[in-house]
Amino acid sequence: MQVWTKLFAKSPFKPLIKHADVVLSTVETLERALQYWYEGNYEEMEKVAIEVDRLEDVADRIKEEIRDSLSSKLMMAVAREDVLIYLHMQDKVADAAEDTAKWLLIKKPDGVPTEVKDIILQMGMESIKAAKLVHEAIVQMDRVIESGFTEGEIKREYEIIRQIESVENKIDGLDTRLMQLVFENADKLSWGDGFYILNIARTLSNISDKAKDAAERIRLMMNK
Amino acid sequence: MAWAIGANDAANSMSTAVGAKAITPKQAVIIAGVLEFAGAYFFGKSVTETIRKGILDPTMITDPNVLVYGSVAALLAATIWLIIATKFGLPVSTTHSIIGGIAGYGIVYAGTAIVNWGKMGQVVLSWILSPIIGAIMAYFIFKALTKSIFERKDPVRSARIWSPFWIGLAFVVIGTMFYIKVLHGKDLKTGVLMYGIPLGIIVFLITYLLIKLRFPSSDPFIGVEAIFRKVQVITSGYVALAHGANDVANAIGPVAAVYAVATMGLGGLLVPVPKWILAMGGLGIAVGVATYGYKVMETVGKKITELTNTRGFTIDFSAATVVLVASWLGLPISTTHTVVGAVIGIGLARGVKAINKNIVRDIIISWFVTVPVAGLISAAIFKFLMIVG
Repeated sequence: MQVWTKLFAKSPFKPLIKHADVVLSTVETLERALQYWYEGNYEEMEKVAIEVDRLEDVADRIKEEIRDSLSSKLMMAVAREDVLIYLHMQDKVADAAEDTAKWLLIKKPDGVPTEVKDIILQMGMESIKAAKLVHEAIVQMDRVIESGFTEGEIKREYEIIRQIESVENKIDGLDTRLMQLVFENADKLSWGDGFYILNIARTLSNISDKAKDAAERIRLMMNK
Repeated sequence: MAWAIGANDAANSMSTAVGAKAITPKQAVIIAGVLEFAGAYFFGKSVTETIRKGILDPTMITDPNVLVYGSVAALLAATIWLIIATKFGLPVSTTHSIIGGIAGYGIVYAGTAIVNWGKMGQVVLSWILSPIIGAIMAYFIFKALTKSIFERKDPVRSARIWSPFWIGLAFVVIGTMFYIKVLHGKDLKTGVLMYGIPLGIIVFLITYLLIKLRFPSSDPFIGVEAIFRKVQVITSGYVALAHGANDVANAIGPVAAVYAVATMGLGGLLVPVPKWILAMGGLGIAVGVATYGYKVMETVGKKITELTNTRGFTIDFSAATVVLVASWLGLPISTTHTVVGAVIGIGLARGVKAINKNIVRDIIISWFVTVPVAGLISAAIFKFLMIVG
């Protein structure tokens, strides 16, 4: 009788999607924080940035749960290490968002020029795109398996991965532009301001970097 | 014993359909009740014959009491071992237990020479082969399903055409079996051409017309699954039929032997199994499903959340076909193990998200343990009965 209760294990994909949900909220909350930061509303920004930190903790907890459930005794449609590495990368997206939030909290952005702020806000919006696409990619991966790895579904998945890569490219471009701006305005900025801006930019571009790494893993999942 | 089979094994074999939400446990009870009975009554004979007189050489038993005590010992031993195994959570087969039990008392009575080792070897080989063949079959059927349905531009349309084809194929097998078993046809080709294929075609047309109903769905997968949910109602019945055909023997093989001796002395072994005994076994299974199997299916149905209808269909179809063919060959195999084999086959085709590999280990352990343990218990009970009796 126990044969059934022992035979099927829980699919890791539903929890992975749940994790992606939380990662996406983390990045969306960060974007709200950036908005307040841009407007100079430091009090509101602080509240929202703390929320980013909380959401990142939730993502961590789900990650642990999924890890514990993926024993090596499972036979899965995708390789276990691919799932684990993917999960790690997806979690890093939330980590990067939390890092950005930490930098935002360091000081008030009084000395930051508006054009720099503009670019940072843009980077924030693009990051959300990346996080949304990762979410879409893992939902699509579930469908790929559901369909028994049919070509049509795999094609759709590749399209999503391609979009993630192009978002990452765009953020890299913005990042470069920002560095140039900081050094063009070097005489107007204190070293502290410069250090502050560059770190916000670095952590923001990390969000899309990790999203791209996650997408890479999905690519590997599909061609076993 | 028939009740226990109905309560456990039958429920196991129907669980895929319940788990994939194709039928409710209540419907499963009705389907299982009717079709387990039909399978036992129409197709149960060969396997029963094997268990009744294929394992031991009946000419070596000279004392009718031996047969009576032995059969009782075998039944008791199988039941005891099943209870123990269930405690430990080993996926033990009723079929394997009963055969171990029969061999056990035979050896105590007349030494190893009494066991028909040729037949026994065949039976044991069929245990190992049935999950493997189930797996291979499920693998290819699943691949064929993805190719013929999911790969198409309009999966729902393809599903409407292809699912009647598969159901028709199941009825080709059933029709052929009917010819061979019930009408005692001798020629396989005639069976396939005259009974199997026409029946298959008729069923194909009927299901094709039934499935013509529109399944409104924006998502092609949900549409395909909806079609297969209907299809699974039929295939789960197919499983019940096959299961009844194969497993009724576990319960009534020994009983049939006792009955034959009781009514006609040792000569009784020469006449075939009376129909009413098969019916009794079938009835026992049906009652088991209705009284206890219902609960088993309810729990299992809640446990299997990862099974979709297309997968469930593939499992049902492959396992039932293997079991039915084994019944025709008179080989008593384990339905549950064949079903597990089919699930693993789909796993190999990347069709299941996660399967516990431990189950394979458990099944292999149960192969090696069941026969000796059931044999030993049976031998002990038999000795005791002979002394007391």
